[in-house]
Amino acid sequence: MNALHDQAQSREGMAPEPSADAPVRLPPIRVRTGAGEVARFLRETGGVRNDGLVPLTFPIRWLTLPAIRGLVLQLIGGDGFLPVHEAQSFAYERELRVEADYVLAVEVRRTAKPPRLTLKMSVSTGQGEICAQLETVLRIVPLNLEPAS
Amino acid sequence: MIESGMEPAPPDWPRAGDEIRAQSFGPFAREALARYAAVSGDDNPLHLDPNAARAAGLAGPPVHGMLMFSCFEPLIMQWRPDLFIARLSGKFLRPVLAGEGIRVSGRVMRRRDVPRPELTLRLIARAQNNDLAILGEATVLYKISGPLS
Repeated sequence: MNALHDQAQSREGMAPEPSADAPVRLPPIRVRTGAGEVARFLRETGGVRNDGLVPLTFPIRWLTLPAIRGLVLQLIGGDGFLPVHEAQSFAYERELRVEADYVLAVEVRRTAKPPRLTLKMSVSTGQGEICAQLETVLRIVPLNLEPAS
Repeated sequence: MIESGMEPAPPDWPRAGDEIRAQSFGPFAREALARYAAVSGDDNPLHLDPNAARAAGLAGPPVHGMLMFSCFEPLIMQWRPDLFIARLSGKFLRPVLAGEGIRVSGRVMRRRDVPRPELTLRLIARAQNNDLAILGEATVLYKISGPLS
């Protein structure tokens, strides 16, 4: 996707045209459920766990890892657009443990009319056992870039 | 891993129609949104910058959808700590603006006893003005013998 082209389009208030609806898959990403990160996340989300398990929605933070975030921003199409969270799902085969290593598999698909990104992420152990699967649907909203009065 | 052996439902296993007692979360001040942005990585300016929110057509920064969505887990686990949340999904229907709180509630929609005690829950998060902010659904399993992992 040509970011400059899309930014130029955004200034005209038009959504960038998707180049294709084919999903983009990222190489596997290794992550760790650090105890400090989990505790801070729990504190801000009203969580009550103290059993060594990770809060159910914690994996959402991995969507902002640089590789995933960069792809999302590229597919959104520039500064004239913002992602708005439309739907979310989590499916767990097993709970995630604190201070454990996992591997993420991520694919992102852009669709048009209305423009959306759908992110699918699976969280597996290093041995390849799937623990959880997430699906995130983001609507792409054009911004009114006129100066605020 | 999820165990698949036959296990009877406990005597107090909920029935279809049972309510999950509503809980209030928030209010979510802008400082709380900033802290959630830090722990989740979701620093979308929509939630943090009033100008970005206005440019998206909102009166002010909306609370992160995932911050509200995260409240479903403590709601369920405080209702019954003997559950494994196998699936949790939701649609974000109306924004809740910074400074407001939400009221989260649930109801048992379906009960299944075999091959393993399972419930389908309808979950709702409402804004202060009673607008439906998130409509969710969960599938929860009876946690047979301690943590599932």
